[in-house]
Amino acid sequence: MSKFAPLAQFSRGQESGYKLLPFKFDALDEDRWLVTNLVGEFHVLPRQTLENFIHHELSPNAPDYCALKSKHFLIDGDSDVALDLLALKTRTRYQRLANFTGLHLFVITLRCEHSCPYCQVSRQNDDKTQFDMSEEVADRALDLVFHSPSPNIKIEFQGGEPLLNFGRLRQVVLRAKDRNRSKQKNLAFVIATNLAVLSDDVLAFCREHDIHISTSLDGPEDLHNRNRPRPGNDSYQRTIAGIRRVRETLGRDRVSAVMTATAGSLARVREIIDEYVATGFHGIFLRPLSPYGFAVKTKWIAAYDQQAWLRFYFEGLDYIIDLNKRGYPFREFYAATILAKMLTPFQPGFVDLMSPAGIGIGALVYNYDGSVYASDESRMLAEMGDETFRLGTVRDSYEALITSEKLLDPLEQSFAASVPMCVDCAFEPYCGADPVYHHATQRDFVGRKPESGFCSRNIAIFRGLMTRMEADADTRHLFTRWANR
Amino acid sequence: MVLSEDDSDLGAERRVTFARDIFDVEAIKRAAYRLSGYLVVDIQATEHEYHCRLFALDSTNVDAIDALINRFRGEVLDQDLRIRIAKETEAYRNLILSLAFSKTGVTG
Repeated sequence: MSKFAPLAQFSRGQESGYKLLPFKFDALDEDRWLVTNLVGEFHVLPRQTLENFIHHELSPNAPDYCALKSKHFLIDGDSDVALDLLALKTRTRYQRLANFTGLHLFVITLRCEHSCPYCQVSRQNDDKTQFDMSEEVADRALDLVFHSPSPNIKIEFQGGEPLLNFGRLRQVVLRAKDRNRSKQKNLAFVIATNLAVLSDDVLAFCREHDIHISTSLDGPEDLHNRNRPRPGNDSYQRTIAGIRRVRETLGRDRVSAVMTATAGSLARVREIIDEYVATGFHGIFLRPLSPYGFAVKTKWIAAYDQQAWLRFYFEGLDYIIDLNKRGYPFREFYAATILAKMLTPFQPGFVDLMSPAGIGIGALVYNYDGSVYASDESRMLAEMGDETFRLGTVRDSYEALITSEKLLDPLEQSFAASVPMCVDCAFEPYCGADPVYHHATQRDFVGRKPESGFCSRNIAIFRGLMTRMEADADTRHLFTRWANR
Repeated sequence: MVLSEDDSDLGAERRVTFARDIFDVEAIKRAAYRLSGYLVVDIQATEHEYHCRLFALDSTNVDAIDALINRFRGEVLDQDLRIRIAKETEAYRNLILSLAFSKTGVTG
């Protein structure tokens, strides 16, 4: 008697053919086609194989058959477990929706001692205290924070430069922790600061209350100081010194940095990444300018086009991949966010790449003057005179804000799974709805996708990540590590 | 997609025809939308066919226009397949979503 059943035993049930499960397809490049399903599983195959598959002519012995079956693109008589697994993964993917708002941004002042020409939040001079958040506004904002059903609450202090109103910051942290004694949420704090006015008092307070620091580092000294002017022209020196002090006092992992690419950055992505490596970071977020605030007013955003940005991005990404292969662990955070959507059933809470859109659901912004906005970009837009996404004020109830037509309308209209072109786009599971961007650029929550910079930029990045994974097993392993951290 | 009365400023016109008993007009409309950054498409229906008049937004490069017209034909075919897949899998899609957002048993 044979020790194993014959091969035919394992293909019983496949003889009567297979049924297609929902999926989308698009060209990955000239020769290969990408198929994706509801939960972001994907497979790359030649055109002829795709057509055979759609026409139910793919042989169970074909190499792609098992892959398509294991990734839930088909079911046959052999197994119907795919339906339950797809349902479970779909449920996991939308799990965040049930929790509602986890990120709460407190704009405790618009004052800033920097005068960055690309500032997207339209900062004010540092002597104008009328742009500070009052005690009453801060307390009412905290009422709203603790009304959110989310078990995980992150309070992020934004500006201007939030450390210029440190008294209010201290008050919010202490009162939030006090309220949390009864609420028992997972409460975390972040300060988004340029570190220029960092004091020992601030560091001691951050250590006592386990506060994380997020800062801006645009690259080498000359580039950073040109992008981020301040009196004394010493922003870079202060940032680097601040990073060192934060690490010494709070720990190495308590500080992270983001960069913003200006026209002067485009030819220098390797130098920028080298600067991050030299400063001891293990990741970077390569960010383009956004169409808000001074970046529009000063026309800095018009100084480069999307093709130039994508060349910058992919040169940087390839350099980072090479860095990893040479033994230095380093991530590009935007890619890592997308890869989590491609390679895991989880949805990272990155507002721009959420559908339904992350506005309101993913984040709420409490402005210094008591206004409540649906996202950080929403308040940037308001500083330009457009209050479309101003949901109300801190004096309104959480329920009133979250069910406001100003939030529900753009959420409903922009839901990517029912938007023209997104509805049949194979990259849609990795993308998001960004009604604020499309309103800002096209005066429409949905946006005409053939003309959308958001759409073309993200699809280019999705394709770039896919082709790199498909071309090189080591890159795929690296990307899998990024996705799972 | 309906053009204005006067389309004389839209450049060289190309024509593509699709048989009505083979292609869904929805596929033609979706293809026209996808390529609307490059083409304006006017669709007219007769008893047996859909007649498409195509105008390239940039009509200066004839080779590029030819490639665009071929891309439009290919896109209509792809959209037709997408519609076919969506119809064929609609029941499964509804089942999966209803399972996902109800008590599934597999989630405990």
